[in-house]
Amino acid sequence: MPNALLKKLQGIPMCAGLTAADIEDLIAIAEEKSAKKGDKLFTEGEPGEVLMVVLEGKVEVTKREAPLATLEGGSVLGEMSLLGGDTRSASAAAATDVKYLAIRNGPFQKLIAKDNIAALKIVHNLAKVMGKRLAMINEKLVDSLGKTKKKEELADFGRILNRWSF
Amino acid sequence: MNSAEATTYYFQKAARIMDVGERIETLLSTPLREVKVQVSLELDNGEIRTFTGFRVQHDNSRGPMKGGLRYHPQVDAAETLGLASLMTWKTAVVNLPFGGAKGGIQVDPTHMSLKELERLTRKFVDQIQDIIGPTRDIPAPDVNTNPQVMAWIMDQYSKYHGHSPAVVTGKPIDLYGSKGREAATGRGLLFVCREILRDVGSQVRATRFAVQGFGNVGSHAVRLIHDDGGIVVAVSDVHGGVINPRGLDVPALFEHAKRQGTVQGFNGGNACTNEELLACDCDVLVPAAMGDSLTKQNANDVRAKIIVEGANSPCEPEADEIFEKKGILVVPDILANAGGVTVSYFEWVQNLQHVTWDEDRVNGELEKVMKESYERIASISRSRKLPLRTSAYVLAIGRVGKATVLRGI
Repeated sequence: MPNALLKKLQGIPMCAGLTAADIEDLIAIAEEKSAKKGDKLFTEGEPGEVLMVVLEGKVEVTKREAPLATLEGGSVLGEMSLLGGDTRSASAAAATDVKYLAIRNGPFQKLIAKDNIAALKIVHNLAKVMGKRLAMINEKLVDSLGKTKKKEELADFGRILNRWSF
Repeated sequence: MNSAEATTYYFQKAARIMDVGERIETLLSTPLREVKVQVSLELDNGEIRTFTGFRVQHDNSRGPMKGGLRYHPQVDAAETLGLASLMTWKTAVVNLPFGGAKGGIQVDPTHMSLKELERLTRKFVDQIQDIIGPTRDIPAPDVNTNPQVMAWIMDQYSKYHGHSPAVVTGKPIDLYGSKGREAATGRGLLFVCREILRDVGSQVRATRFAVQGFGNVGSHAVRLIHDDGGIVVAVSDVHGGVINPRGLDVPALFEHAKRQGTVQGFNGGNACTNEELLACDCDVLVPAAMGDSLTKQNANDVRAKIIVEGANSPCEPEADEIFEKKGILVVPDILANAGGVTVSYFEWVQNLQHVTWDEDRVNGELEKVMKESYERIASISRSRKLPLRTSAYVLAIGRVGKATVLRGI
């Protein structure tokens, strides 16, 4: 088992708390892959069954052709695929030559079915990340609702005056 | 609590009953503009003195701002602001197309020659001429200022802006002043007395009045109440008073005051102090001297059934609450002494139209304004079960508020 890969994985948030043995379990179901600059990794709307960990290079994520983010080594894409998400919510393409690790949903679910500690820890870490994102989205939602529900203090005052009928 | 704080207190009380909210309260109570100027002067003896002058413009949603200009050593920014807001509510209560303002110079004019006062006034006008004007802010006489001072203001302002008699009111009759202006506050007070007495099933005739203060408001009120058949049982000024339960001989009292410069020592009754006057046996008490004469210390001694506030802020809020509990009716300053600013409005109207009204017309129009305003306030008081003062502030906030809402922010 290449030591460099193990080191890389230990440093990413998705693998926080995983022992070397845990990571080896993960590597056992993962597949190292590469893509050339400009290759499409996946497309918005298609079924998503693979989680990807960027090992080298840059990946550009777009939604409806608008750039969302550029991900570098250590970043994770398509984490929803391990949590039961169905289709890809964005598209990803290699912005440079890219090396990445692909983890398919099927083998991952088998690990979970066996109560594999590594898989459970990863789910736990992904849940934490998703929880943070959900909290952020909630904030944004409340903000945008507050903005649309405009106050009408002057009109309210006018209504008070009408009630007092002068 | 000073008079400025009292105005804020009464305003807030009404605003909170109306539930207008904190931001509207702030909008209505914050002044539009506060100006502080320095007026340096070379006295007749060659000394150089520097005086501080103020003009606070409180609200202009209902029209150009209106309010007195006083010369007094104790003038300060906070008091001027309180009085400016009082003018906003007062002009609204009597439904004049004006907002509120107030100003003053920190000076003791009794220690100055006429020439020095004229130079002081003109230099003050130099400093504020760009913020006053017939459609901006119209000063008027107040403590220690008189028609002569107003004439200087008109003259100095006109040097900058062309002939402008409507820049100031309370001018001499011979220089665009209005007939009936001098007695206007006292006359307005009489009209209000007639209305409230009728409301309680009485009339001015045979009603017993005690009047504290014998200046521009008190002296005219005493004369007019007497002319209307009222019994004046006690009168006082800053030196002391005189009391006669059977009624003072008012014409003889005026003779005495003219000779002596005070009502004290008049032999048609017994001498009394100002405190004794406030507690004397009467039906209607008219505090028309300085502010804060009725306090929580002496409010319980008041035996009158009705108090008509000739002065600005003669009742501390604590005293006002005692009167409310005891069922003593208080006609608030913003209605009771609004006759002065009402006839100032008539003067402004005459100046703008280049016409002169005769005194009967002035007094007749004044009576209409005072009667209508009293009726509105009494109707709010009856329907909402509020004291007259709160009702007056409710009416004022309503009128200023409607103008603000209609004009938009």
